[in-house]
Amino acid sequence: MTKLTFSSNEAVSLEKQVDLLCTPIETKPEDLEAVYEISRCAEWIRSNNFKKVCLQFPDHLLADSSEVILRLQGILNQTVYLLGDTAYESCCIDYIAAAHIDADAIIHFGPVCFSKTSASLPYINIYEKKSLDLEKLRAQFEEKFNDEQYEIVILVDTIYLHLFDALEKVFRDLCNVSLQRIDAIECNQTFNCLCFLSDNDRKLLNVALNFKPKILYYYDGNIKVFENASKVVKRRNFIIEKIKDSETVGIIIGTLGVKNYLEILARTKTLISNSGKKYYLISVGKPTVAKLANFPELDIYVVITCSMNEIYESRDFYKPIATPFDIEIALNRNADSISDFTYDYNAFLGNTEIASNTEAVGDVSLLTNKLRVPVTTEEIKDPEDTTVAVKDAGTIALSNSGAGYLAQRSWQGLEQNLGRTEPHLAKEGRDGIPLHYRNEEHQ
Amino acid sequence: MVNFTVDEIRVMMDKKKNIRNMSVIAHVDHGKSTLTDSLVSKAGIIAGAKAGETRFTDTRKDEQERCITIKSTAISMYFELDDKDLVFITNPDQREKDEKGFLINLIDSPGHVDFSSEVTAALRVTDGALVVVDCVSGVCVQTETVLRQAIAERIKPILFMNKMDRALLELQLDAEELYQTFQRIVENVNVIIATYNDDSGPMGEVRVDPSKGSVGFGSGLHGWAFTLKQFAEMYAEKFKIDVVKLMNRLWGENFFNPKTKKWAKQKDEENKRSFCMYILDPIYKVFQSVMNYKKEEYEALLPKLGIVLKHEDKDKDGKQLLKVIMRTWLPAGEALLQMIAIHLPSPVVAQKYRMEMLYEGPLDDEAAVGIKNCDASAPLMMYVSKMVPTSDKGRFYAFGRVFSGKVATGQKARIMGPNYTPGKKEDLYEKAIQRTILMMGRYVEAIEDVPSGNICGLVGVDQFLVKTGTISTFKDAHNLKVMKFSVSPVVRVAVEPKNPADLPKLVEGLKRLTKSDPMVQCIIEESGEHIIAGAGELHLEICLKDLEEDHACIPIKKSDPVVSYRETVSEESDQMCLSKSPNKHNRLFMKACPMPDGLAEDIDDGHVNPRDDFKVRARYLTEKYDYDVTEARKIWCFGPDGTGPNILVDCTKGVQYLNEIKDSVVAGFQWATKEGVLSEENCRGVRFNIYDVTLHADAIHRGGGQIIPTARRCLYACLLTAAPRLMEPIYKCEIMCPEVAVGGIYGVLNRRRGHVFEEAQIAGTPMFCVKAYLPVNESFGFTADLRSNTGGQAFPQSVFDHWQILPGNPLDAGTKPYGIVQDTRKRKGLKEGLPDLAQYLDKL
Repeated sequence: MTKLTFSSNEAVSLEKQVDLLCTPIETKPEDLEAVYEISRCAEWIRSNNFKKVCLQFPDHLLADSSEVILRLQGILNQTVYLLGDTAYESCCIDYIAAAHIDADAIIHFGPVCFSKTSASLPYINIYEKKSLDLEKLRAQFEEKFNDEQYEIVILVDTIYLHLFDALEKVFRDLCNVSLQRIDAIECNQTFNCLCFLSDNDRKLLNVALNFKPKILYYYDGNIKVFENASKVVKRRNFIIEKIKDSETVGIIIGTLGVKNYLEILARTKTLISNSGKKYYLISVGKPTVAKLANFPELDIYVVITCSMNEIYESRDFYKPIATPFDIEIALNRNADSISDFTYDYNAFLGNTEIASNTEAVGDVSLLTNKLRVPVTTEEIKDPEDTTVAVKDAGTIALSNSGAGYLAQRSWQGLEQNLGRTEPHLAKEGRDGIPLHYRNEEHQ
Repeated sequence: MVNFTVDEIRVMMDKKKNIRNMSVIAHVDHGKSTLTDSLVSKAGIIAGAKAGETRFTDTRKDEQERCITIKSTAISMYFELDDKDLVFITNPDQREKDEKGFLINLIDSPGHVDFSSEVTAALRVTDGALVVVDCVSGVCVQTETVLRQAIAERIKPILFMNKMDRALLELQLDAEELYQTFQRIVENVNVIIATYNDDSGPMGEVRVDPSKGSVGFGSGLHGWAFTLKQFAEMYAEKFKIDVVKLMNRLWGENFFNPKTKKWAKQKDEENKRSFCMYILDPIYKVFQSVMNYKKEEYEALLPKLGIVLKHEDKDKDGKQLLKVIMRTWLPAGEALLQMIAIHLPSPVVAQKYRMEMLYEGPLDDEAAVGIKNCDASAPLMMYVSKMVPTSDKGRFYAFGRVFSGKVATGQKARIMGPNYTPGKKEDLYEKAIQRTILMMGRYVEAIEDVPSGNICGLVGVDQFLVKTGTISTFKDAHNLKVMKFSVSPVVRVAVEPKNPADLPKLVEGLKRLTKSDPMVQCIIEESGEHIIAGAGELHLEICLKDLEEDHACIPIKKSDPVVSYRETVSEESDQMCLSKSPNKHNRLFMKACPMPDGLAEDIDDGHVNPRDDFKVRARYLTEKYDYDVTEARKIWCFGPDGTGPNILVDCTKGVQYLNEIKDSVVAGFQWATKEGVLSEENCRGVRFNIYDVTLHADAIHRGGGQIIPTARRCLYACLLTAAPRLMEPIYKCEIMCPEVAVGGIYGVLNRRRGHVFEEAQIAGTPMFCVKAYLPVNESFGFTADLRSNTGGQAFPQSVFDHWQILPGNPLDAGTKPYGIVQDTRKRKGLKEGLPDLAQYLDKL
């Protein structure tokens, strides 16, 4: 009992498995130049005369980062900084981390979401590069669309942009097919028939939601029609009803880099308070199940983040996750004009005024079939009623939500249980680290 | 026309001893609405000649078209009783002195089992029930169900044998056979009553007895009816016997020898059963002479019976004439009125013994005493049992019964929903009542105020209640008990608007539908689908029609009906399940095992519930289910929703800080039992045991965030290792048909995985009654299938009975449960395939 272990031995740390969403990629040294376009980066830095440059890598590309930095530093003769472990989404430019060293520019590697950015630091995106069997693609196109009359647009995602010229060559003689770079697309462009070349399901969903093509194809070795968007849109019915039912909403900060995030935050706050609900503003870095479950008094989470975030689809969270869009539709009576669901709050922000709320009474919840009670029901005021609320031990406030929740808990804090706990002799406790205590009895 | 005014009714409302609140209940098609017409016509609301055809209480168009009652309908009527009849009312609480007027608040209810919830709502606000039985088909399933409900609510029944015309004209039963039929029905009814009521209980003796006049006979369609009292009065003078004595002689084993003029207790050659001789014979004579067109015969007969035909009726013959004669001779309204006034309790009598069944609060507070005494000067206590749509779309009349005090237009009252608990503000509103109204079938009449013991409607309350609630002026009032339905919403359809832009209208429509039906559930599932859940196909059909035509007013697409399943386990977990918290510092060790048979039902029925004292509950569980008493005392909670049929038991010994994580584990348990591991359906009948817990010594590392998701994972691991199974809902079907059709029934049932557990001939009829269990999932189209296979002769009544394990392992690809799990997952937008145990189970 003399030794107190504050840290585990290094073997444990080294053997520890880290959960990664993407499998790490390690590029062969001879391909590094091509994949990371090192000379282009160097050229960009040199021509703009940046002094402090940050390289932002997503987790799954970190393995290559040191080599890229070494080579770049070799070319430039100046220190470049590496930004790893991005606070929120690695698809967005991490200004906050860059601001720690007061950087002048950022080079962003890996998947990118094209969200409008909130700061004006210069940056360039270096896309990932994946190979594509162009002949097979062409064959598929011919087979599928040979007698089609209408125009078909092939939208090329970042990972295949390095093949854009080759693609153009391959499809030059197909007159009803045109090509479109994803980084050069206008957000209000409309398409009749779109084929998205990508390996990212999430991007596919966003393309379906944002451009609403009549038919959306995607290519994963075969050309298929994408139909999943309706599921996401349908789920809104539930989320919106859930927001209307909730008393306490948790606003989770999921970005510091997307444009207007402060505006949407303020708007969400206003909408929630106007409808008589309560909110908690929660900033816990990257939201995880465990972090958010620390707030069991919340009825729903609304996450403000970039539209590529996959958190919205996750069903593992203790409470459902809403988007700013859902909040807008559920709580703003003027929101009728916004009809099409989108993950990107910039698409509707500022389109409508916030309605002054006149909550209808007698609204029945379609989740519980109970009457929906506006939290700010006026107190039952009876002039003759002079009863005062009894201040129980520990009563802080009388309310249904928030502090009221604490009152329902069976364990409300340290209980002394004086005289009720039998005294025991001191005995030896656990020893070791939580992963496996040395004197563990089980198994 | 109408022989009373609203003012007169208002005056009567204060004479509470002269009020009778009653519902008409029966099996489907036994003639409730038709019979009710007789009373409505006696009140002058509809013409006598139209009685039996109008079905005045069937106010909806579809009710008239289908000839089936869907909604229960209330009507208030005023009658006067003759002096000679008044003497039969002996209880001083049954009649105000010197008042011969009676106010009858009648509720006609549907007979089809799918609409039983309407019956429940009707019974709650009434004190007496007129049980109608078709004397040709006898006591049927639904007769028993509603009668049982009535007794449980402490509603006093009286019996009416309907459709005597059919017995005489179609079946051509002879008098003795008919008597035997009646006798058997009376016996059957009394057996049911005796099963559910204790004669020494607070209601006293409630059995029906023809010789006391609490059983009526007749034909609602033809508008005639009698009790033994009517005939006893006719003969009393002739025999010079007291009416009451004679009534006793006219029923049962009483035989009269016309030659010796002697009564006997046994049948012999010379004598004849008195009931046949004095009652049935004259009726038979009238029938025979009129239906055989023997004009002289019946013209001679009429004066003897004291019937004078009106001029315009003299030309009629056959059935038309028969109707007129019988209706003039034995007017149904008169017989019914006497039965109701004499044998059904007034609110003053009924509320004395009903109060303890109705009130949730202490039985000696102001409200309780007010209800017990039916005191109009006590604080207001009113129960709203259902919502009735108004002509104003989306608004409803709150329909209910004033049990104590007085409800008045403009009065300020506390409106308490079913989730209200005294002292809390949840589900409580204090609002003024906009208007009080009298419900008169398809019309309403405004009325200033309504005192205790009456049934009425309220305007402006609908916004503060979903379906039911309590209205009071007493600050410390508790709720009146929530009604318990005999049916459950197990059949579901998903709906969506044909035009996606109509979605808001659909949502609004669903909300209205929720209000307008006592039992329907309209829910948005996690996947975002709009679900309507009802008792059966017919119920859903009506709900969908209402939604489309009245509530949403948009064209609607509907899915095929589906049922919801339950997830359960069939064995104890084959290993101790360990899950570690995300920070790996906390460990939970648990196992799941199935509950013993009957416990889940006990929890459903509230015999075991979270509000019980834990010691009492533990004793019950120990005695009935052999649970270890120390463990039974440590049931942490029920779930889902805090009340469901799954329990979490603390079987740990001396774990430090355990009470700190209880809330978190409970939250995880509620989550996991609401969304089971297989297909996110509710769990059922699973007991989870926590055997050990290792917690980090520092409170910050064992917060909700660490424990809630871990508890859920661990519970999921428990489910997966305990041979998980699916449960499906099972209907109990009762099918009536002639013998020739029985074979066809078996064929249909076999194809649909049904199995017959009882088959018997209904005594005294050629009909057979087949009772079977049928999976709800296989019941879609059952009625039509049955009809086509039995030449339209078999008619089923299906009511949800229990949950049953679907044979087969849902984790084995290719089994039926596996298919269902996959379908459900697909419908809910979950990842297809099976949940992976490794995701939930950790290694030490």
